[in-house]
Amino acid sequence: MDKIRLMAHLVAGFPDASGCRAAAEGLIEGGASYLEIQIPFSDPSADGPVIQSACAAALANGYSVSQALDFLESLHRDFPQVPLFVMAYASLVVTPGVEQFVHMMAQRGVMGLIVPDLPFDRDEGLAEACAHQGLVSIPVAAPSMRSERLERMAHLGRAYLYAALRTGITGTTTTIGEGTLQFLKACAAGGSKVLGGFGIRSHTQARAVAPLVHAVVAGSVFVETIQEAVEAHRVSRSASFKGSIEVRDTAIRENIRQKAQEITRGE
Amino acid sequence: MGEKGYFGPYGGRYVPEVLGRAIEEIEEAFEAACTDRAFQDELALLQRDFIGRPTPLLYAENSSRLLGGADIYIKMEGLAHTGAHKINNALGQALLAKRMGKTRVIAETGAGQHGLATAAACAKLGLSCTIYMGAVDVDRQQPNVATMELFGAQVVPVYAGSQTLKDAINEAFRDWAASFADTFYIIGSALGPAPYPDMVRTFQSVIGKEVKEQLASRGLEPEALVACVGGGSNAIGFFSPYLEAEKPRLIGVEAGGRGTSLGDHAARMTGEGARTGIVHGYKSRFLLTEEGQVAPTHSISAGLDYPGIGPQLAALGRSGRLEFRRASDEEALEALTFFARHEGVVFALESAHAGAVAINLARSLPKGKVVVVNMSGRGDKDLFITAPYFRPAAWAAFLERELAALRAHPSGIAPPPSSGTGLENARGVAHSTTSKLISSPTSREVHHG
Repeated sequence: MDKIRLMAHLVAGFPDASGCRAAAEGLIEGGASYLEIQIPFSDPSADGPVIQSACAAALANGYSVSQALDFLESLHRDFPQVPLFVMAYASLVVTPGVEQFVHMMAQRGVMGLIVPDLPFDRDEGLAEACAHQGLVSIPVAAPSMRSERLERMAHLGRAYLYAALRTGITGTTTTIGEGTLQFLKACAAGGSKVLGGFGIRSHTQARAVAPLVHAVVAGSVFVETIQEAVEAHRVSRSASFKGSIEVRDTAIRENIRQKAQEITRGE
Repeated sequence: MGEKGYFGPYGGRYVPEVLGRAIEEIEEAFEAACTDRAFQDELALLQRDFIGRPTPLLYAENSSRLLGGADIYIKMEGLAHTGAHKINNALGQALLAKRMGKTRVIAETGAGQHGLATAAACAKLGLSCTIYMGAVDVDRQQPNVATMELFGAQVVPVYAGSQTLKDAINEAFRDWAASFADTFYIIGSALGPAPYPDMVRTFQSVIGKEVKEQLASRGLEPEALVACVGGGSNAIGFFSPYLEAEKPRLIGVEAGGRGTSLGDHAARMTGEGARTGIVHGYKSRFLLTEEGQVAPTHSISAGLDYPGIGPQLAALGRSGRLEFRRASDEEALEALTFFARHEGVVFALESAHAGAVAINLARSLPKGKVVVVNMSGRGDKDLFITAPYFRPAAWAAFLERELAALRAHPSGIAPPPSSGTGLENARGVAHSTTSKLISSPTSREVHHG
C-alpha cells in the first residue's frame, strides 16, 4: 500500500523551543506531509487532556505567540516543501485583530489556519482575511452536525476541510464505522480536501481512514511520544549518564520519526 | 437587541462544531419551555416549596440611620435554599434537562455554590450529577465538596491548567462534547454560548421581579440597585425588570482585589488588561494578556474572580445603562462587618462587594431615597476565609483541635459532643449511612451556605 499522507499536529513550545523543533524535524523525516502547529492557549476547550497539558506546560515556561511566530518562520525557511497550518483559538486571533493575526501568519509562510471556536458562519472575518492574504481558512466539521449545516460547510469552496472523526475530544479512542464513512463523504461533497483526525494513534486506524481522506491527522500520540522521550531523558540525567538538552532533543526527534513512520507506513 | 444571541457587539456562539448540535438542542428546548404552561407551573411550585421563594426584602434600618443618607434595602437571596441565588438557575436548567429527557447533568463550579445548587436540584429531580471542580478549588472548598457528595453528586477534580474554575469549564465542555445525547450542561452564570446568557437571566429574573413587587407593595421607588458582578447572574436577574427603563440607576460592582495591576483584580469593565475577546464560547470583556491569553485574576471572593463577564452586562456597561464600580478585598470585608454588626446579616464575600458600594452610595444620597442591594448569597460559606482574617489565632486553634479529633476518629464515627463541627463532621456525614450523623445539626449549616 502507498504511504499514508499524514498531517501531524504539534504544540508549539512543547516541551520547549528546541524540543519542539526536534519533534518537527522528526515528523518531517518520518514522512509527515503537512504540519499543523498549535499555538498554545490558556483555555484549549476543544482539546483533550494530552494536548491541553502540553499547552499549559508551554505557557508555564513563558512561551509566547511571538516565539511561536519565530518557530513557524524557521520551519518554513528550512522546510519550504512542507505546508504549515496553524491551529489557534479565537482569543489569540481576535485580540491582536483578525487581519493582523492573519498578516503575521502570512509573513511566516503559513498556508492555512484552523480556529475551532470560530465557526464558519461566525468567523469574525477570518476567511475573508485569509483570502486577501493568500491563506486558507479551514473549517472543522463534526459528525454531530445537522446534515444541512454540514452540507453548507462542505460547499463553502474551501481548499481544505478538517473532519473531526467522532463526537468528543482529541486523544481518545476513535472507531471507524459506517457512520464515519458517510460523514467523510458528506465532508468531501463540495470538493474540499478532507483532513480527518481525532484519536488516530496507530497504522491500523490510519489505514482505515486513509482511503477516505486527503490526509490523516494525528496529534496526541506525538505529544505522548515527546513526553516519553522527555521522561526518559530525566531518568538518564539522574543516573550515571550525563544527559544534555541535545541528547534529549535527539531522542525526541528519533522517537517521533519512528512514530510517524509507524503511522504512515506501519513500520 | 440586534441579532439573535447577541447583546450589541457581545454574546454569540463561538463554539467548536462538536458542541454546536448540543447547544442547538438546548435552544430549541428552552424556547419551547418558555411558553409551556406546565413547565412554568412546575418551576413556580418548586421555587416556592423547594427554594423558599419569595425571599424577603429587608429594610436595613439600623445601617440606614447610621449612614445618615438614603435607605438601604437588602434582597435576601442568601435565604434561598442552599444559601445563594445560584439555586434559581440550577433548578430551572435541571427542570429543563428533565423535560428534554436527559438523565445526567454536568456542571462546573469554582467556589462551590453553583455546584452545590446543581447537586441539590439534581437530587430533588432524580438526575445523575457530575460536578467538575478545579483541584485547587476542591482543596480549599472541602465543606462544599462534602455537601455536594452528600447530595449524591460526583465531584471530579480537574488537574489541568490553573486547576481552578476556568479549567473546570473546559473539562465540562469536553465531557459534554462526547455525552450530550443523555447529558445536559448547566452553566451557572449568565455567560457562555447563546442561549445560556438568555436562559440564566430568565431563571434569575425572579429576583428582580420580586424586588419590584416588594417595593411597590411598600409604595417605594428605588433610586439605585446595586449588585456584585462576577459572571453576573445575580446582577442580570436582579436588574432584568428595569433594563428597558431609564431609572433606577443600576450599579454593578466588580472585584477590585488587592490592586490595579493585571493579576491583582477581576475588573473586566474597568480594570487594567480588560479587553474585548472571545473565550469559553462567547464574546465579551475579558482580562487578557496582549496576546490574548486569559490572564490570572485575584479576589478574596472565589465567586468573583472569573476572568470574563456576561455579555449582556458588558453591553449594558458599554451603552451606559449600567454603571460599574469596584470594591477592594478590604472594602468588602469592611462592608461584611458593617452589615453583620448592625443588621445581623452576614453577606457572602461576593455580595459584600455590592454592600460596600451601597454604603458609599447611601451616604451620598439624601434621606428618603431608596438603594437596594442584592445579597446574592449568605456568608456562612466563607467562614474558612473570613474567620482566619478576623480571628486568626482562635481559628487556628479550633482547626488544630478538629484535626486532632479527626485523627482520633478516622472512621467518621461520631466524635465527642464538644467537637462536632468542621471537616470532621463533613467527613462523618459523607462516609456514614447512620441517620444520627446525617441529621447532625452542628456545622453543615455553617459550611454549605
